Amino acid sequence: MINNILRSILYFVVFVMFQVLFLNNIHYLRIATPFLYLYCIIKMPIGISRSGVLIFSFITGLIVDMFSNTPGMHAGACALVGLLREPLIHFLQGEDIADGLYPSYHSFGYAGFIRYVALFVFIHHVTLFLLEALTLFDPLFLLIRVGASVLMTILSICAVELFNFESQKIGE
Amino acid sequence: MKKLLDFLLRKKHWFLFIVFEVISIVLVYQNNSYQRSVLINSGNIVSGYLGSIYGDIVSYFNLKEVNRSLQRVNGEMEMKILELQEQLEIMQADTVTFRGAVRDSIHDFPYQFIMAEISSNSFVQLSNYITLNKGRIDGIQPDMGVVSDQGVVGVVSQVSDHFSVVIPLLNPKSRLSCKVLGNNNFGYLIWDGKDASCATLEELPKHAEFNKGDTIVTSGYSAIFPPGLIVGTIEEFYNGRDDNFYSLKIRLATSFQTLQHVRVIRNFRQEEQINLEKEAKKNDQ
Repeated sequence: MINNILRSILYFVVFVMFQVLFLNNIHYLRIATPFLYLYCIIKMPIGISRSGVLIFSFITGLIVDMFSNTPGMHAGACALVGLLREPLIHFLQGEDIADGLYPSYHSFGYAGFIRYVALFVFIHHVTLFLLEALTLFDPLFLLIRVGASVLMTILSICAVELFNFESQKIGE
Repeated sequence: MKKLLDFLLRKKHWFLFIVFEVISIVLVYQNNSYQRSVLINSGNIVSGYLGSIYGDIVSYFNLKEVNRSLQRVNGEMEMKILELQEQLEIMQADTVTFRGAVRDSIHDFPYQFIMAEISSNSFVQLSNYITLNKGRIDGIQPDMGVVSDQGVVGVVSQVSDHFSVVIPLLNPKSRLSCKVLGNNNFGYLIWDGKDASCATLEELPKHAEFNKGDTIVTSGYSAIFPPGLIVGTIEEFYNGRDDNFYSLKIRLATSFQTLQHVRVIRNFRQEEQINLEKEAKKNDQ
């Protein structure tokens, strides 16, 4: 249990720092930004109470907001994915998945994990960009931005997971 | 009653979710109004401090560029001094006393500059903000103008003790009153959220005369900026939504991508002007 909490906090610090200091400055062709900080919500162990996941993801979003001057946008989007995380896992992996397992290529299978990440990121980004568009609306530009950013985030999360040796060790 | 409590406990994540969503939507909504929550932006102590460390590191990367631009400005200043000196000498050589050269203590220059460095900057999002490493303690207040050595940057919106957040021209909330250098027709400069090097000047009357490449300067009507600061040059023009006005595409003089040192303009008469204008409006109703 303590181990779980420490791991989550470590992931949280590393990926949120990386997000606010480096990735927030990346805007590929002025449209796509990878939001890699979602990785620390994606990698939370299965079986934690839904309220726990919800609180964790809301705080994560709020802190990213604090650094990128977008009060409420990331927090709102993260709260939604935090709530939908458990039903999403059960929908994709069936009801009988063991508690305490970490989502990874090993536990979900390559296709399963990528499906999970893709849906998760898609829900988050659509909410985020819609919240942002409340201030300025240009539908076509919005669609392009959402699509490009979703692709970029999925790619970066899958790449990080591929190189996460600790995750492979635990999977054995 | 027990059943109800059970139900509430079982579904507690739903209530938590609703509370969180309400909080974030309130925050988003507050963000849209001009006065924003001070706690959750890059001007607070934690994010401001971290941002300024990061800014310190990054600032080494463009030292060469900064140096070059400083040298250029220095050269321009020297030229100006020479020009003024020449004028002064001509006046002194004249035997007739020239009253204009005597400093009038009533018409003091009412502006003062506060130098600041940028600790975090964005220029590619829909709503951009700049954080400066000076705050209330250094004399910065909301609604002060910010300029760089290249041109106008934006207006201060939020101030904490050691940091301040600037709404740059690259933000749809920014609305700067500008005119074409040489005539007095003015319009408003707004940004459409796409290109960081261009903005649009709208509501310029049809009878205004201008050409491509003309300089756009601040009008000085707003009490934030003194008149005559460079904003950009005219790139293209087309008819506005209704036919009585022009819309001009302006290439901004400030390159926001490489911005590092700025000056905050303190106008000692701003309060007086705003109060007077308020009074006048009140009397009108």
